[in-house]
Amino acid sequence: MPPILEVRNLVKKYGDFTAVKGISFDIKEGEIFSLLGPNGAGKTTTISVLSTLFAPSSGDAVICGHSVKDEPMAVKRCIGVVPQELALYEDLTAHENLVFWGQMYGLTGRALTSRIGEVLEQIGLQDKAKQRIKTYSGGMKRRVNIGVGLLHKPRLLFMDEPTVGIDPQSRRAILDSVKELNRQGMTVLYTTHYMEEAQELSDRVGIIDHGELIALGTQSELTRQVGQTDTLILHIGENEDPQPLVDALKTLPGVLQATPTDHEVSVVTASAEELLAPVVTRADRLGVKIHSVDIREPNLEAVFLHLTGRALRD
Amino acid sequence: MNRILAIFRKDTLLRFTSPIEWAFFLILPIFFTFLLGGGTGSSSDQRIHFFVVDQADSPLSAALITELERSSAVRPSVMSYEEAISEFNERQISAVLILPPRFTIETLQAGGVEVELRQQPNNVRAFAIQQGVNTALTRVSSAVDIAAASTSRAELITPFPSPDQKQAFFNAALEDAYAQLKQAPQRLAEVSAGTEDKIQYDPNANSAAGQMITWVFIPLIGLSAMFAMERQLGTLRRVLVTPTSKATYLAGTVLGQVLTAVLQMVILVGFGALVLKLKWANAPAATALIIVTSALAAGALGTMLGTFVKTEAQGNGLSIMIGMVMAMMGGCWYPIELFPAVIRSAAQALPTYWSMQGMLDILVRGQGVRGVLLESALLLGFALVFFIIGVARFKYE
Amino acid sequence: MTTRKLFQIALKDLRLIFRDRSALVLMLLAPFLLTLGMGAITGRFSGSDTNSGVSDIPVALVNQDGAQLGDALVEMFTSADLDALLAPALLTDPAAARAAVDNDEYAAAILIPAGFTASIIPSPAQSAPPHPVQVEFYANPTRPTSAGILKAILEAFLGRVEVSRIAGQVTVSRLLEDGIISADQAVQVGMSAAEEMAQSTDAGSTIRLVTTMEGGGAVAFDILAYMAPGMALMFLMFTVTYGARSLLVENRQGTLARMLISPTTSTQVLGGKVLGIFLTAITQLLILIGGTSLLFRLQWGNPLAVVVLVLAAAFAATGWGMIIAAFLKTPGQIASVGSAVMLIFGLLGGSFFDITMLPKWVQTLSKVSPNAWGMEGFLDLARGGGMAVVRTPVIALLIMGALLFIAASFWLSRRGLARQ
Repeated sequence: MPPILEVRNLVKKYGDFTAVKGISFDIKEGEIFSLLGPNGAGKTTTISVLSTLFAPSSGDAVICGHSVKDEPMAVKRCIGVVPQELALYEDLTAHENLVFWGQMYGLTGRALTSRIGEVLEQIGLQDKAKQRIKTYSGGMKRRVNIGVGLLHKPRLLFMDEPTVGIDPQSRRAILDSVKELNRQGMTVLYTTHYMEEAQELSDRVGIIDHGELIALGTQSELTRQVGQTDTLILHIGENEDPQPLVDALKTLPGVLQATPTDHEVSVVTASAEELLAPVVTRADRLGVKIHSVDIREPNLEAVFLHLTGRALRD
Repeated sequence: MNRILAIFRKDTLLRFTSPIEWAFFLILPIFFTFLLGGGTGSSSDQRIHFFVVDQADSPLSAALITELERSSAVRPSVMSYEEAISEFNERQISAVLILPPRFTIETLQAGGVEVELRQQPNNVRAFAIQQGVNTALTRVSSAVDIAAASTSRAELITPFPSPDQKQAFFNAALEDAYAQLKQAPQRLAEVSAGTEDKIQYDPNANSAAGQMITWVFIPLIGLSAMFAMERQLGTLRRVLVTPTSKATYLAGTVLGQVLTAVLQMVILVGFGALVLKLKWANAPAATALIIVTSALAAGALGTMLGTFVKTEAQGNGLSIMIGMVMAMMGGCWYPIELFPAVIRSAAQALPTYWSMQGMLDILVRGQGVRGVLLESALLLGFALVFFIIGVARFKYE
Repeated sequence: MTTRKLFQIALKDLRLIFRDRSALVLMLLAPFLLTLGMGAITGRFSGSDTNSGVSDIPVALVNQDGAQLGDALVEMFTSADLDALLAPALLTDPAAARAAVDNDEYAAAILIPAGFTASIIPSPAQSAPPHPVQVEFYANPTRPTSAGILKAILEAFLGRVEVSRIAGQVTVSRLLEDGIISADQAVQVGMSAAEEMAQSTDAGSTIRLVTTMEGGGAVAFDILAYMAPGMALMFLMFTVTYGARSLLVENRQGTLARMLISPTTSTQVLGGKVLGIFLTAITQLLILIGGTSLLFRLQWGNPLAVVVLVLAAAFAATGWGMIIAAFLKTPGQIASVGSAVMLIFGLLGGSFFDITMLPKWVQTLSKVSPNAWGMEGFLDLARGGGMAVVRTPVIALLIMGALLFIAASFWLSRRGLARQ
């Protein structure tokens, strides 16, 4: 079966600035694909081009068998979009919003009404449907946002950072609903800068940084790239300057990488257990206080760190 | 088509969920129209009212007041000095004519007298009152002048034996002169161009028309704020992601607001015609044509402006400012005929100018659809140009 | 020090508003442009010295008379005296002239038919008085004021002609009746009496009309002196509602809560914001007054009195801003109501046209706005006048402001400053 989405050397420039520098990837029907990367990496731009908002500067994408450049209308009918911002009319009720957006997708009459009923049930807002959205909590608003994307029964759903700035409960609800949608057969392209989400949801992951796809594959494929390495997280004091420790640790044998972040120092090594004692000793000798230590097994964050030398969350 | 209706429905819901919008849509415009339509039950007497203070109480002042009452342009009311000046100072009356105590025939004979006409500033009526008063003064003083001239000519031929006889001659001549002046034939035939029945110039209807154009244009230019809001909200992007074309979206938004504005105007015109008995429902088809084409031009301008503004606040501010300046320069607030020639030519570049011309054709020239075809075509032209620019710029957002 | 805090808050708001470009558009740019536009359309900048901007009225003349009165009429309309007021054109075909008027090329056409002079000055051979021949005044209905002026000039001429004729007639009939002259002297006496009259009335009649304005001063009126304060006052209302909005915007932003968490009382916060609105209003008015004075050479009048009036107007307007903030819930509502109030007050207060053209009850209603009082004050000052002349408006404005403040504070304290 051909992939539902194929991106071929996609480039997007804004004037002199190249936001997306020639990326290529596929998404198979029925999978959840995450696009993971820090803020400003080009995730939203990529989604904008794929949702036919902007034309690519060069390259193309084929979605549901239609070219984004040449057949945007056909693409629009096949995809659903849940944007990062709440693109809803707050002075209207959830119901009124769904009516309008359904109509924008060409749904009318009884088909529209029944579909709205289904979607409201799916997002769990049947009771509150006739209240104005401005009275909703943040989580409820996000659910309506998702509902709008589902109205016309798309085959592929783009979700652009849907959990930014909401409480843990609502986030949990959203992640669960994504999994449920997928279970029912929906293909999802999910962008985020939260590694845990990508880890929990995705079948395959693409890591994007500065407009380039620096890694692509299943999670195990990616972590294998990093090799069998562990990450030691050293939590140091607030007022401590991590740099001297980082410099010192870099000289230790077995240390593949040492990076300061906030009040932590991340040390990548083949075996954390073996390195633990020397690290602590070295720190002690420097007079740096270590409050606690975490050992993290290879994960996407490590992959990112390995590939870019920076932390995902900077 | 469904989509266009859907957009219209959404915009209407959004607009009218707040009760304040009803104030703008209906209450304010009706209030303004009422005010300008001469809301206290428009009197059929179109003559301009002014006050006369008669401090002389002489036959001459009586003659002058009679003459003023005969005027077709102005309507005098005699008041005491205190009352007249106090009302004038409170801006209740456009002008006050003050006849001093020396205003008598004797003083005229002796050498002349001054009368004072006190006027309000920025008041076109005061100017017209001045003309009317001048005309009456000329008539009255003429009789005296004639009698004086006759008397002096008689004196030249044969000097009068006594002052009494001279005065008698003068009085007889004066009476004669008055009689002759009264019987003087009309040497002026006034024809008003282009109309069968004379349509009286009604300054109130004019102002109302000018205000209506102003308030059609300003909210429609305010479309720019609406676009900016949708852009800020992210809903504009969202619409563009759906299989709804840009053209459909633009058409739905613009046509929807134009329709709302036209509806508003229909209510106002109806109100004006029925309640205030304004004569602008003379030619309903022509009026409708001007209203619709004006609304289209304004809506298109708002769309074009919408591609330039970034925030809703910017849109609101600019639309009020641009709307007012265009209305003023187009002759909606101040009669176009009084503009300097250069400015008048320049104003033709504004759609508001043509809207006002169209309304004037209907109100003052009594023309129908054929008469306003030129203005309507020009307004459609404006609409087209603005719309094309707006759509072109819309692409690259 | 409490007052220092008030000023700190006020100055912060002042700084914010002058950075907000869309606010500046309506605060400064709009009134300025409108004043400029008004000046342009009234001919103030094209060097016209007529005070209502009327000049170069186009008029078409067709003279088929062929005798002295027709010529005199044309001569008058084309004379140097009326050169600034009129732009006459001599045509030969009456039908063409009428068509040109229909085409809106002229304010009117004056058509002098053949036999005009003959119908006024009878030839000696005639026995019966001649049938009057009328001059046709073909008016352009879309230029009523211009046509009215032309008609007045024409009527004045015809009036003088008539007077001369009657002078001749009266003189003759009186002299005949009194036996001072004989019948065969009649014609000659009549003609010379008429001519003498014609010449003397040319010099002006014996009743002289002097036009003045309020207070009896001469009419040397600058229309901008009317429009500029009108516009400034109208957009003053925008400024104060914008300030009122900022109170609710701060609430939403969370900065209001932050202020209240700091060691600042809610009275200080409110006081500071109100002071900010007041200062912004004053600044706006002073900028507009200064700008128009410099650029348009507009005379606003006695500087001290102007400043006092500015302070009073700003005070009253700020009161209105506070009332609006007290009663409405969202920034959006305030913006809408603010615009409506700005326009209504502008109309009622005379910013668009002289309100003597409106019914009496409207003029009474207008006293509710700071615009009406402010206009009165500024106009009086522009015509010359010191502090005494603005006493009434200033007092009225201060009372208005005080009442509004009390009401607003009461209401705000009941609602609480920060809310959901």
